[in-house]
Amino acid sequence: MRRRDFLTTTSAALIGLSLKSDRPIPGSFVNESAQLGHQLRNHASFSPPTKTEKSQVVIVGGGIAGLSAAWRFRKRGFTDFVLLEMNDAAGGNAGWGENEITPYPWAAHYIPVPGPKATYVRELFEDLGVLQNGVWSDRYLCFSPQERLFLYGRWQEGIEPAVGLKPQDREQFQRLEEIFTTHRKSGEFTIPLELGRSQKSADLDKISFADWLRDQKFDSPLVNWYMNYACRDDYGALAKDTSAWAGIHYFVSREPEEKGPLTWPEGNGWITRRLLERVGENVRTNQMVRRIAPSAKKSSASSKRGFTVTTTDTQFETDFVIFAAPTFLAPYLIENFQPQFQPQPLHDFTYSPWLTANLTLDRLPDSRGAEPAWDTVFLDSPTLGYVDATHQSIRSHIDKTVWTFYWALADGDPAQNRRTLLEKDWSYWKEAILHDLERVHSDIRQCVSRIDIMRMGHAMVRPTPGAIFSAERAHIAAQQNSPDARLAFANSDLSGISIFEEAQYHGVTAAESILKKISRR
Amino acid sequence: MGILLFISVLLIAACGLIYELVAGTLASYLLGDSVLQFSTVIGTYLFAMGIGSALSRYLNRGLVYRFIWIELLLGVIGGFSSALLMLAFAFTQGFSIILYALVIVMGVLVGLEIPLLMRIVRERYNFRDVIAHVLTFDYLGALAASLIFPIVLVPRLGLVRSAMLFGLINVAVALWTTYIFANQLASTRIIRGMCVLVLLGLTVGIAQAKKITATAEDNIYADEIIFARDTRYQHLVLTRFKDDIRLFLNSHLQFSSRDEYRYHEALIHPGLASIRTPRRVLVLGGGDGLAVREILKYPQIESITLVDLDPEMTKIFSSHTMLTQLNQNSLLSPKLRVINADAFPWIDSNTDSFDFIVIDFPDPTNYSLGKLYTTAFYRAVARHLSAQGVIVVQSTSPMFARDSFWCIANTLKQAGLKTYPYHVYVPSFGEWGFVLASQHDYAPPTSLPSGLRFIDVKGIPALFQFPPDMAPLAIPANQLNDQVLVRLYDQDWKDISH
Repeated sequence: MRRRDFLTTTSAALIGLSLKSDRPIPGSFVNESAQLGHQLRNHASFSPPTKTEKSQVVIVGGGIAGLSAAWRFRKRGFTDFVLLEMNDAAGGNAGWGENEITPYPWAAHYIPVPGPKATYVRELFEDLGVLQNGVWSDRYLCFSPQERLFLYGRWQEGIEPAVGLKPQDREQFQRLEEIFTTHRKSGEFTIPLELGRSQKSADLDKISFADWLRDQKFDSPLVNWYMNYACRDDYGALAKDTSAWAGIHYFVSREPEEKGPLTWPEGNGWITRRLLERVGENVRTNQMVRRIAPSAKKSSASSKRGFTVTTTDTQFETDFVIFAAPTFLAPYLIENFQPQFQPQPLHDFTYSPWLTANLTLDRLPDSRGAEPAWDTVFLDSPTLGYVDATHQSIRSHIDKTVWTFYWALADGDPAQNRRTLLEKDWSYWKEAILHDLERVHSDIRQCVSRIDIMRMGHAMVRPTPGAIFSAERAHIAAQQNSPDARLAFANSDLSGISIFEEAQYHGVTAAESILKKISRR
Repeated sequence: MGILLFISVLLIAACGLIYELVAGTLASYLLGDSVLQFSTVIGTYLFAMGIGSALSRYLNRGLVYRFIWIELLLGVIGGFSSALLMLAFAFTQGFSIILYALVIVMGVLVGLEIPLLMRIVRERYNFRDVIAHVLTFDYLGALAASLIFPIVLVPRLGLVRSAMLFGLINVAVALWTTYIFANQLASTRIIRGMCVLVLLGLTVGIAQAKKITATAEDNIYADEIIFARDTRYQHLVLTRFKDDIRLFLNSHLQFSSRDEYRYHEALIHPGLASIRTPRRVLVLGGGDGLAVREILKYPQIESITLVDLDPEMTKIFSSHTMLTQLNQNSLLSPKLRVINADAFPWIDSNTDSFDFIVIDFPDPTNYSLGKLYTTAFYRAVARHLSAQGVIVVQSTSPMFARDSFWCIANTLKQAGLKTYPYHVYVPSFGEWGFVLASQHDYAPPTSLPSGLRFIDVKGIPALFQFPPDMAPLAIPANQLNDQVLVRLYDQDWKDISH
């Protein structure tokens, strides 16, 4: 006991203060969109729309794909479009929140420093001042220390286990890295996927990442933990449910020229905010699309028929639609969707359920001597750990913060996990989260003043074996290429992996293909 | 039995004097100005003893019983007086009130002791012998206490345990008295029980105090802690040994009053005196006001802005006598504006320009402090430089932390500044380094303010020479996203401590 601790306790006792007493922690579920979505599935009856509007293009979905299409339109000087977002704020998986301490992310919270192939991402970051004259702004590159892993009762920097390795663990990590280096040289594992993916490695998509690891004689528990962590982190899936091609892509696609990643207090919500500053006037929130049907009459400018897009209260007459919402919604919304894939359309589109929570901390908990890092992961936890929203602050003294806790419900059947996600109440999940954190931060309950939880049944597409080279996926993605096509799909799930760069790529290319058709007329 | 009785007089006299010395010492440690503190504490104590003696005439019956109670009370109050006063200083605003209240209570009790004892033993001896023996042993006890206190007690036991030890003696006397005068007491059970209880309490106190003093903190601070406070931002400790005051922030030595003039003259004058017409100065960190003291030696300076995170720090250094003597009341200068803010956000949002910018932060021991040594921070600072502006950065030791020192210099360079590293010898720190940085070329000053004790015009050029064991190293710059400096610093100091 140190002198000052002794003095504090003694004086507290003297004035009869009790430092104990677990206070109740308030909070709730937030951003619940499942109920809205389920109205579609159940074909609930809606009252007819009361207004009619016209615009040349309707973008369905206000996530990064839709916002990027809008960004492209306005950048090209095209403004005759609306973006329809079903929630009360656009952003999708780049959503964010804010309290009196800091803004914080609700889902995606970083972007690896984009490689040379990700030209649209680089262009966006030049627009936003993140990339200036070829130099990444040091305010947005993740500050030191970036990541820490808690294992065997201690901390290490970085997430790849480096402490307590046996010789075979070390050998296998090294051999794995050599295999990854070979794949990196092939140039097939790119971001965006479309620019590098080739049939040469299509066989890797036929087996699971776990099987591939076993075939390659990787049996080290630490190697397997790390590979599973990577799949859970990027795909919300275990290695056994992930395509080997996708598993390899995670490690091979990123070879940053700069120590990153790029991140912001509100995560990718920062990009949402900047994009909304540019395209906000075209965005309509609380507009849940119910139906997308070919127009009754031909549109004025062309001999081809356009679409009628119906929302809760408005009917939009339009020439073109960009469907940027998750593709699994298409059969519920688009009349006569994909007849050639009946009776089982979207067979290769599986989605992972996730849970995120934002914990408000009135004081920083005991971290067993470690300095706070940006991303904290616990070895052998089913969760993905947490990210500190104030990490990117330039302040030297931080005594309150918000932690964003990530949990992909990866183990088990996604549909069953979705049911569990919706059935269990808030305090069940709150306790589960605190229990996980208590393994390392014993006083966490005294530090947390609020826990808000967001449940996402279909948080992200899952690259199951076969998904990356799926014929149907290729077919849907290529629809916009037909000269007659007036419907372009743009969600990141067209790539089979759900990352910012893919969403932006599909959004921008959809916008480009439509702009071409408009200018041709 | 007679001699034992008089030894107890000696003991209680020693106890009385020890409590007085403890109170006087603590007051002068904590409040400064030892002559004043000792004089007032002793005066008050003696006066209170007079009150006690006067009150003794109102005690008529059950003298032995009352004497034992007084010993017990003194054991408790005197024994815990030192701990209580330290707590009072750390946690209340009313230290002086509590101090003098304690001094008066203890004085009154001590004043009661001797008259009561004389009346108790009056029947056994003739009056002349009582007076002679009691007073002799009283003064002998005082002599013993006054010698043992500075030579053995304070250095060996510290103030807290010394007081408790003498509390034990008081209670022992009480307990012992219950045996000698058992025949004059109706019942001894209760009073002996009380004695044992208080003895136990004090023993536990001593054991605890020993446990506390055995902690790392006391190993770090070799000298007496005269002030310790956990502010919202840091753990602030002042120690003193004779006339040497030392400030520790989070256990890191910030200055020693014996040689801080070397550090602060070296920090300020090579840069500031080189500027033709310095008017506006910015100090980042440096809440002790010692850098400001040096800056105030330039009468042409119109304004000084001091940005320090911790309001407690600037408050203590503008109010504590011992410390305002040290910084010559610099924090009360009308030219000074104190801003208690986090430096990086402040620099980022402020738009003022300055002729001289002093960056005097604690060493980069962690990633939070490390942010204040990055290219991003220096670029933000450089935007505040006027055309003739110069920056000076305290840059840790080029001797003990050579990689760290050159990392800081290279970081300033990477931020687009011309750099001029230099070093001086500060006995309590060892070799210490600074970096001047500017948009233009630097020329050493040709004149300096008068009254400097360390820096002189002739000596300045030599400060910029680095011998081979401190020579420049090619170390990458410290970046927000790759804080090499924190890791280098950690390694540098680990290397020399092993």
